[in-house]
Amino acid sequence: MTLSAFFQPNGRRLSSAGIVLLMAPFFMLIAFAFLYPLLSLLSLSVTEPTPGFGNYAKILDNPVYGKVLLRTLWIAVLVSALSLVLAFPVAMAMVSSKGPMALFITACVLLPFWSSVLVRTAAWAVLLQRNGIINSALQFLGITSEPIRLLYTQGAVVVAMTHVLMPFMVLPIYGALRNIPADYGRAASICGAGPFRSFWEVTFPLALPGVLGGVILVFLTALGYFITPALLGSPQEMMIATLISQQLREFLDWPFAAALVGVLTLFVTAITLLFSRVFRFDRMLGGQL
Amino acid sequence: MVEERRVAGTTAGAAPGAEISIRGLDKSFGTLKAVDDVSIEIPSGEFLALLGPSGSGKSTVLMMMAGFEVPTGGQILIDGQDCTRLPPQKRNIGMVFQHYSLFPHMTVLDNVAFPLKMRGVGRAERRRRAGQALEVVRLSGYGDRMPAQMSGGQRQRVALARAIVYEPRLLLMDEPLSALDKNLREEMQLEIKRLHVELGITVVFVTHDQGEALTMADRIAILRGGQIQQISPARELYERPANLFAAGFIGEMNMIPANWDGSCLMLGQGERILPPESAFVSQPVQGSTTLAIRPERLGVVPAGTPGAVRANLTEIVYAGAGTLIIARLDDGTEVRARVPSAGLPPLSAGERIGLTLPPEAMLVYGEIAA
Repeated sequence: MTLSAFFQPNGRRLSSAGIVLLMAPFFMLIAFAFLYPLLSLLSLSVTEPTPGFGNYAKILDNPVYGKVLLRTLWIAVLVSALSLVLAFPVAMAMVSSKGPMALFITACVLLPFWSSVLVRTAAWAVLLQRNGIINSALQFLGITSEPIRLLYTQGAVVVAMTHVLMPFMVLPIYGALRNIPADYGRAASICGAGPFRSFWEVTFPLALPGVLGGVILVFLTALGYFITPALLGSPQEMMIATLISQQLREFLDWPFAAALVGVLTLFVTAITLLFSRVFRFDRMLGGQL
Repeated sequence: MVEERRVAGTTAGAAPGAEISIRGLDKSFGTLKAVDDVSIEIPSGEFLALLGPSGSGKSTVLMMMAGFEVPTGGQILIDGQDCTRLPPQKRNIGMVFQHYSLFPHMTVLDNVAFPLKMRGVGRAERRRRAGQALEVVRLSGYGDRMPAQMSGGQRQRVALARAIVYEPRLLLMDEPLSALDKNLREEMQLEIKRLHVELGITVVFVTHDQGEALTMADRIAILRGGQIQQISPARELYERPANLFAAGFIGEMNMIPANWDGSCLMLGQGERILPPESAFVSQPVQGSTTLAIRPERLGVVPAGTPGAVRANLTEIVYAGAGTLIIARLDDGTEVRARVPSAGLPPLSAGERIGLTLPPEAMLVYGEIAA
């Protein structure tokens, strides 16, 4: 059998052998650059310094680690919620505008992708610093009498992470909204629904697959986010990624860092499964509009 | 029928259909004039079809009646109330869309009950009335299905149930059958016609299918370039089109150029024809006119018969009961005749024949066919 036979279209589908061949490079990359390091790291967590679950017990023993984990979850929830609230109107504007306006909004949404996360985070540091524009404005308006601490707070982390991750919320919602035929809105209004009810009864439920997709993307990314919390966050209020980095680089405690990675991975997996179970994710995406 | 009316919940007494008055309606999109000074009076309970080629403005008129588009000029009155700028949700109109537009995340029953929910009707009452509406479109027992589980024809009937469930006085339909296959389309035509008779509701139906308009509508409005060409009952539209566009748009029509000298018509090849007074749809000025006649009104006779128009037979298409004769006049004008096959003498292409034009079938227009 020649190689081309694998790709002979059978109807519109490739043969299963063809699919395997197409996916092979990707799987090899995943296995080499993700699965292998992850598994070797995780094995480190149960073999060093002594075999067993000592590293995990250490996480449970000290309430500080539990707090870090809870704080991380909380920040991820906040960032997801804030992104959703900000992203939905943007996605709706993208769908309902056309021509140059649509191009402009799309460019605004995608613009952050053209600069590095580091630059965007540093920009927030500039804005939020003691003598930054926000503190100056607050004083000028007489709201505060002296500079207040904005940088190195949980608030700074939430705001900046929302800014960085929002495009990941906008795009799936935009995709879902764009698939809703214009006639649905018309049908709702001729049936007697005003704009508000039309949104809650028809538009929002039909956009739900996009919303869930966006929430999962943003939430899971936020859970493991490093740069922004590291640069803008308070050292007293660490997130798990900064904690892992600290264990690795400052204390050189690889096995313990690996255990933390294990816990984070467990959470990510559990939350993904929960989402797909509760919201019947597969069915919603496969559902016919 | 009385029983069915009660089931559908029509208020006894008052006429169930709305009276519509469209006055001087205009709609421009930039420099394009989509609807140009359209005026239509629709009496209560009428079934009106808006018929025209794509781009004729028929859908735009409907969109303005529904409230999805705001007219640039003119007025729309429903039961005497000026609705020109009223938002759709306040118009109490039923509408069926081309692609059904059922909400895919709701069951069939919830779809049908949706307008009632928007009107604050309680849950139990909602379910009861939605169930009745499904009964009217013969879909009882399908309430728990999702729209995706229904066939195209069933979906369109659900859409119909949703449009009539709150007993609107006006039902708008935007090419509702064009997505269905031919057999289903004919079935749905009868279904919609039946509903119209049962409910007595006023219906405005947009279509580009002349057969559909002729079968279903009480009156047909023909549109072209945003302007109304003619509003007439089907039979009048067919037998006496108001202009050459209407003549050519509905059915087949022979259009023979002729010259009017003030007393009789002169064909290009020299025959003189004296049409009766009633044949003049528009009074020609002296000069070029068009003589129009339906193919089934022409007769085929041997060449040289007195009073017949001479022509060269170019093609004979035998189709069972009828035969299509295609002939050419000496000036090159193609003329088609549809005659009963029985009693037709043997003919062959190239032969010289005569065509009879019954005076009562003649139509004379003071314009020239494009």
